Amino acid sequence: MRRSLPFELLRYAMILLIIAISLVPTLWMLSMAFKPIAEWSASGAALTWWPENPTLDNFRFIFGQSSSELIVSLERTAARPIVASLLAAIVGTLIAMTAGTAAAYGLSRFGKGNNLPLALIQLRLFPPMAVMIPLMIMWSFLGLIDNWFGLAVVYGIVTLPFAFWLMKTFFDDMPREIEDAALVEGCTRLRVFAVITLPMMRPALASSALFVFIMNWSDYLIALLLTTRDWVTIPVYMTSLSSSMTGQLYGAKAALGLIAAIPPVILGIAIQKHLVRGLTLGALKE
Amino acid sequence: MNGVSVKKADIAVLPQDNAGSEEKRLGFWLTLPAQCLVLFIAVFPILMQLYISMTDWSPLDGIPWYRAYELWIGFINYTDLASDSRFWAAMWRTFLVMIVCVPIQFLLGLGLAVLFVDEFPGKRWFYSTLLIPMMVVPAVAGYMFFLLFQSGGPVNDLLSLFSASPVKIAWLSDPSLALVAVMAADIWQWTPLMFLILLAGMISVPQDQQMAAVLLGASWGRRFFTIVLPRMKTIIIIALAIRTIEIFKIFDTLYIMTGGGPGVATETISVYIYKVTQQDLIWGYVAAIALAILIVLSVISAIAISKMSKGANAR
Repeated sequence: MRRSLPFELLRYAMILLIIAISLVPTLWMLSMAFKPIAEWSASGAALTWWPENPTLDNFRFIFGQSSSELIVSLERTAARPIVASLLAAIVGTLIAMTAGTAAAYGLSRFGKGNNLPLALIQLRLFPPMAVMIPLMIMWSFLGLIDNWFGLAVVYGIVTLPFAFWLMKTFFDDMPREIEDAALVEGCTRLRVFAVITLPMMRPALASSALFVFIMNWSDYLIALLLTTRDWVTIPVYMTSLSSSMTGQLYGAKAALGLIAAIPPVILGIAIQKHLVRGLTLGALKE
Repeated sequence: MNGVSVKKADIAVLPQDNAGSEEKRLGFWLTLPAQCLVLFIAVFPILMQLYISMTDWSPLDGIPWYRAYELWIGFINYTDLASDSRFWAAMWRTFLVMIVCVPIQFLLGLGLAVLFVDEFPGKRWFYSTLLIPMMVVPAVAGYMFFLLFQSGGPVNDLLSLFSASPVKIAWLSDPSLALVAVMAADIWQWTPLMFLILLAGMISVPQDQQMAAVLLGASWGRRFFTIVLPRMKTIIIIALAIRTIEIFKIFDTLYIMTGGGPGVATETISVYIYKVTQQDLIWGYVAAIALAILIVLSVISAIAISKMSKGANAR
């Protein structure tokens, strides 16, 4: 369709305006992460939008190095929460992807009248808050409170619907002729699945796994309820960062926030082709 | 080993017949792990929830949960819930966030989708940049907005440009403004999701009818409202449903920004449940709240899903 020049200019102007607004919160935190303590202050005379004396002190501080200006030093550094976040998110992704891929293949190829898909949608609808009491009771009964594995299992279950629906739409899209040919050749179904289907699905598996990983990495509530000290994840640790001497540790928290924010942003942009499919539980493909 | 070789032979002779039962069995085994996980997180906990909700049990009582029957109180938790004004206030606040944020996100997302529907130089870059907010960990987004709305923060700084005296609004500690800040954060983070879904839907509207309408001299507005929008109906419903459901669960950003405060000014239903769980520790009562919500949501979602699948069949 032909478009006029004014229309094009208007389009760029509007897009740039919206992008500028949408970047402000992120850039503000980015700037805060590199600000020395003198520029943190929210009540200071003039607001500095960009750090005048950029420093890496905030990053050094959360990893245990006390700076000259910050008298406080941390009892626990950010290193362990980062490991906890990674471990719980990765193992949770493995659980969700294993169970989800198997179920998706089963139902995509020979599952008529099974009500698992509906159960999984329902699972997604419920606020996690609503099953937290029994979960906390069960987990403390099993000794899984404040334990990375306990957290990973819950992550695996919570993101199972995404893993399942993503993989199911990918399996549904895959042409069956190749599988059928192998079946006629005398291969068993399981062998066809392992030797032919899964290798063909490698890109789909990778993007689904990344999607599920982002969901797990983004959790706050579940970790808040199920971890207490040793295995707190980054967001939980971040909220616990404050000191009686300096009040809010603005810069240090911003540095940590930046560390937490970077992986999903990069991974998310890498898999943006499949985001719609994932977010709508496969109802919409791009 | 023997069995396998026999089966192979059978498949070679009669591919359909024997494959049927073998595949049924394989289908069962493949879905088993997922079924178990769902059972583990949904069915068993809900039964336990029902049991605990009939008692006055608290983890502080010193008796294990399975002996909670010693504190049996029947339906009293549920009748308490009906007259719990804090619960209903939290419900109302959640609903308020919903009816403010969902339409704004929808209109902004739709507008952006219109801007992005056809090709133009730089589209890919702009598109990726616009998606950044929804990738940010919600808890971190909460912290970003916590920083923005400090009384000496950038929001007030910007507002000061438009007024004679420096603006020093204490956004997050003012009961009437804190919820506005929370809504701003939600709109910032989730408008990109609306945009993403609506754009995908808009692109999939077939071009032929629009071309015909152009030839007949229909204006852009007319084409948009009579051809494009009606064809996007299902996608619009999906997008609205996703956001409505997610806002009902709103917790992370909000809790980090305000902790539900000042007082209870931004206490939504998830924050309320969290506080009763962690601070008041009356778990029997929490179980009743959670179960009540679960039942209401299940009924609504069952109706919605059956309506949607009926609609899909009709087409």
